Amino acid sequence: MLIEDVGVKSMLSHCRGKACGNCIVLVNDVAVLSCIVPAFRLKDAKIRTFETFQRTRLCRDIERAYRATGNKPCPDCYPSKTLLIESILTELMSSTRSREEGTVDEKAIMQELSLNTCPCMDATELLAITIQAFEYRRRRRGTN
Amino acid sequence: MEPTRSPMIHQPRTLNELSLLFQRIEKPLLWAGGTYLMSKSEYYPSSSNRQIIDLAEIEELKRINRTDRYIDIGSMVNASSLLSAGKLILPSILKSALGSIIGHITRRQITIGGSVCEPESRVAFSTALSVLDAQAEIRQWEDGRFTATWIPVNRLYDKDGSLLLRNTAFVLTKIRLGLEWGDFQRFVLIDNPIRKPDTAILVAFQATRNQTALTKVRFSASFPKKAFYISPELENQLSLLSFPVHPDRVNSISYEMVHDLTNRHESITEFQAERTRRVFESFLHELNIQTLS
Repeated sequence: MLIEDVGVKSMLSHCRGKACGNCIVLVNDVAVLSCIVPAFRLKDAKIRTFETFQRTRLCRDIERAYRATGNKPCPDCYPSKTLLIESILTELMSSTRSREEGTVDEKAIMQELSLNTCPCMDATELLAITIQAFEYRRRRRGTN
Repeated sequence: MEPTRSPMIHQPRTLNELSLLFQRIEKPLLWAGGTYLMSKSEYYPSSSNRQIIDLAEIEELKRINRTDRYIDIGSMVNASSLLSAGKLILPSILKSALGSIIGHITRRQITIGGSVCEPESRVAFSTALSVLDAQAEIRQWEDGRFTATWIPVNRLYDKDGSLLLRNTAFVLTKIRLGLEWGDFQRFVLIDNPIRKPDTAILVAFQATRNQTALTKVRFSASFPKKAFYISPELENQLSLLSFPVHPDRVNSISYEMVHDLTNRHESITEFQAERTRRVFESFLHELNIQTLS
């Protein structure tokens, strides 16, 4: 529906059962795989695709991390990987310990990141970006 | 391209409303979390005219209750809430199985009932629940009304892992777990069952250690879209062992297990069989170590 009716360009056509993780959107600020969320579950929901997310300050943290690490995803998976990282940052920021001490469970983050199967980057590169973005987010929240 | 025709959607709020819908609709499609679609290649566009009943609004299916003797988990509880709500009350094997599902995003969408009722393939939940002797409350639609029965989870499937009730009108309302679990519990998932069904294996094992012997031994192995393996004979054999077991005997038992497994399930690849053997062997070595330490 997002691709055909709304004309969203940031998502690829569906992967036909390969669980590619390339269709992530935010529904009421929570990341979901849009391919398995039917329209009837979305009554009154606020859907944010990458197009609108990239205009937010939240996206700046992740883009800064891309620049700082010198790595970024390929154009095909850029929207989904960015939203995936955002969903990890949201989880980390909701944990008091992670937020205050800056500690992260790298194994758990790697598992989260493996939801997207695009092979353009290896897991350690993505992990470095996520940790860097988390640091930016913590600093920004700390100054707010 | 011709526009896709939307099917009729119903969103009951109670089980009573659900039964009224079963009266009216022939062969409705029940919608739980939707994650089953992740493994389907041809689900969209769908030509099916079946009316859909969305179970998400039924509060009775979203509850987790604990008594002195058991835990009841509503079928629409998702993996994420089960993990956070039940961290202290769930057996470790179930926590491992829930944790093995990739990503918060998927865990928030996958429901326990939807996973147990997947028509063709057994994955993490079913494999773990089958060694915990979990029971499923099934409400079958017969003669114009629901009849509730409790069925052990491991009897819901045939040897290939297909759901036996797949052509029946029913709804799974809850899963019941007893509170007496073994003190040795292991769950191992190797490879992603959706992305790599030909190499993936899921193995669950639990037992109670009683000095040098094992009691209440349960072992289950699943191979996505191929097999669901449980063997009472193997479990009996393991109950008769006295630990520590000589490494040669561990080796021979593991080969006997694989022999039995491949005899019953020819579709399993040699690679999957060897993986299962080694995982099984590692459990026995670990039991040896624990006995000796």
